[in-house]
Amino acid sequence: MTTETTTVRPTARRILPPPVTGQEFVLTGVIVALWVLLGVFTPAFLTPGSIQPLLVSVAPIALIGVGMTFIIITAGIDVSVGGAIMLCAVITAKMMVTANLPLPLAVGLSIAAGLLLGLVNGVLIAYGRVHAIIITFGTANLFQFFALRVFGSETVNGIPGTLDVFGRGEAGRTLGVPHSFAIMIVIAAIAWWYLRHTTGGRHLFAIGGNANAARLAGIRVQPRVMVAYAVTGALVGLAACFFIAAGTSTLDQAVGSGRELAVIAAVVIGGTSILGGRGSVIGTVLGAILVQTVTSGVTQLGWPSQLATLFVGVFIIIAVGTDLLRQRVRAQP
Amino acid sequence: MSALPADETAYRLEMRDISKSYGGVRAIRHADIAIRPGTVHALVGENGAGKSTLIKIIAGAEFADAGAISFNGEPITISSTTDAIQLGVQTVYQEPQLFPELSVAENVFVGRELTRGVRVDWARQADQMHDLLATVGLPDRISTAPVGTLSIAEQQQVSIAKALAGDATVLILDEPSAILTDAEIEVLFTVIRRLTSAGVAVIYISHRLDELFRIADVVTVMRDGETITTRPIGELSVRQIAELMVGGVVSESRPQNGAATGEVVLELDGFSRTGRFDGVDLTVRSGEIVGLYGLVGSGAGDIASVIYGMDKATGGRMLVSGRPVTVRNPAQAKRLGIHLLPANRSAQGAFSFQSIALNIVVGELGLLSRIPGWASRRRERAIAQEFIRRLAVKTPTERQPISAMSGGNAQKVVLARQLVKRPALLVLAEPTQGVDVGAKEEIHRIISGLADEGTAVLVVTSDLGEVLRISDRILVVRAGQITAEFRPDATQVEILAAAAGADTPDADTTPAPIVIQEDQT
Repeated sequence: MTTETTTVRPTARRILPPPVTGQEFVLTGVIVALWVLLGVFTPAFLTPGSIQPLLVSVAPIALIGVGMTFIIITAGIDVSVGGAIMLCAVITAKMMVTANLPLPLAVGLSIAAGLLLGLVNGVLIAYGRVHAIIITFGTANLFQFFALRVFGSETVNGIPGTLDVFGRGEAGRTLGVPHSFAIMIVIAAIAWWYLRHTTGGRHLFAIGGNANAARLAGIRVQPRVMVAYAVTGALVGLAACFFIAAGTSTLDQAVGSGRELAVIAAVVIGGTSILGGRGSVIGTVLGAILVQTVTSGVTQLGWPSQLATLFVGVFIIIAVGTDLLRQRVRAQP
Repeated sequence: MSALPADETAYRLEMRDISKSYGGVRAIRHADIAIRPGTVHALVGENGAGKSTLIKIIAGAEFADAGAISFNGEPITISSTTDAIQLGVQTVYQEPQLFPELSVAENVFVGRELTRGVRVDWARQADQMHDLLATVGLPDRISTAPVGTLSIAEQQQVSIAKALAGDATVLILDEPSAILTDAEIEVLFTVIRRLTSAGVAVIYISHRLDELFRIADVVTVMRDGETITTRPIGELSVRQIAELMVGGVVSESRPQNGAATGEVVLELDGFSRTGRFDGVDLTVRSGEIVGLYGLVGSGAGDIASVIYGMDKATGGRMLVSGRPVTVRNPAQAKRLGIHLLPANRSAQGAFSFQSIALNIVVGELGLLSRIPGWASRRRERAIAQEFIRRLAVKTPTERQPISAMSGGNAQKVVLARQLVKRPALLVLAEPTQGVDVGAKEEIHRIISGLADEGTAVLVVTSDLGEVLRISDRILVVRAGQITAEFRPDATQVEILAAAAGADTPDADTTPAPIVIQEDQT
């Protein structure tokens, strides 16, 4: 811009950061490159039979990742989602077996259960003023304990096929698109809009950026923080239905285990700052796709599966490293 | 805005008989302050006089134990920051309370966004930004920049814009000039005048008394939690304000120090750190206590940090015992025999959950045994017990965690750590901040004792009584430069006036502080 031009009034568009960040372009590029490479080396990769299951496995991780993005933007974290998935899934599966719930009731029950668990976390963190990692580490164990009690040391068998609409099979797709993935995309789009264009969404960024300043600016910090955990809980409930549908009429005790790390990895790789105040839902979805691509790619190439873990680890370090470097550069006068 | 008639004599905000205690300590006693619209009301007082507490009560961040507040003549209660904001009471804190990742425009409107339905109305906010930025003297294009990329002065202007977006009726500026350069202060004053002509009542807190005469209409002086007087600024001089702030306190005679006859241990020559302090020359001799007195933001604390290698110098020389050195980090400073008692005890000094013993010996674990890497618990205990006795630390045992101790005792423990190995140069930053009177006395005695035994001591403090009491020489730091030097028989008023900037001669003031030229023998 030359200085002699008349004053350029800021426009609405330019107040906000660009709708898609540079990091998201990079992620998209990496994913496309990986898909092309995998397509070249394993011809089976770029076929519906390979891509559809990939998208089905992305769906629950990205869905919970949307909620986790809200939480991490407020400079919090939730490591209890693995335990929460397990508890929601086992309650819902048991009720389906005993009462043969119709689809809306089964999904409603799971979401309600998840919402309740999220509220427990949210109330303790927002009003108990204990750091999120401590609270959710505790509740993770509690949720797991209750889930195992419901399991009663055996797998849940004979689950009716009500939830197959979210599954890998033909019933789970319309025009070749997995329903679970489509639902996740819709919810992610709503979340993206919420974070960007509503006061509630913008306040989450403010809280994560400087909680004290947010309080002084008259933002009701505690309810906002609580809602972030509650939303995540509800999304965990929906994702639990996807996990039930992924099995073949059985649900074992391994459900949900370790998923909190996959979710947090997706969020962090997606460019959301672990220090709070900055992040995006689009990045999280891309992060989840990248993680699943690497996992499934390693399998399809016939490489040892530990390599997937290695790659994900490297991605996380790169993502966090970039973020910290950015903050440090900015801290210089 | 208010429907009340714009009565020239009416007060916008009136606080009567306000008292507030923190755990038995009276922070404010029967304070009164009343502010008229369209005026700048200065609030001055020494550190701990109660200014911050009074401001926090107005801003709704603290609640008064007793007293009455009225707004435009109506009695009200302010029980939260939200209440205060609704009245239009806006505070610009010394440290800008902003969100670094968000754009300037978002920062300005955060918490009171303009909305259309549930959506934030970005277009309308962008429109209003133009006027707000013009009022605070920032260019339009800045509204899209993330606040984290702006300078401190710009961030402060953004803070003011933010206050204005909330329809400020009362604007509180807490030491706005402490972090600004002279040119930036001019901009600030222009902004303030623009606001008062629009009818805003401005409360202006500052340590720099000279500038009050350029901006304030009325001044209220606080001392020891009381509002001493409220007068039109024209009726007072810098010196008179300084006297009111200090009160009739006669500075006590300091303990007899040994004469400063030793070798020069520390010499700074044109020592600078860009933006913090510039061209600082000073010497500290063995056995001498030099007091470095400066107000908040003067740069005195930064000098200590750079001497100890916590920050880098950007110019000038530092000599330790005559040898030029560049201190890159605290470990190197310690090898040179420089020890620092940090200003912020809880953040930089104490390992709170650890025992007193560990807190004392942690800097010198190498002394605990001849075998490298091995720390003898018996030696640790012995050293700890010796220092507990020498510094009269009140504790049943050396195993007590430091977090269980009072401020004064904890400070003695952190001080003891600096003495395990006798330092050649001891730098003390605010050695008695948050310490009770008895412990303060003892810490001063310990410092004097060290000097008598030959340690060179540099005390960096914003406590006027302290600097007079223990120093052999007093250097005043103002705006990053040493501006005056005093002998310990100087009065509090002289020193405060020098530090607060009484360099504009006043008709009814004794001439500028006497600058003593020390003979460089």
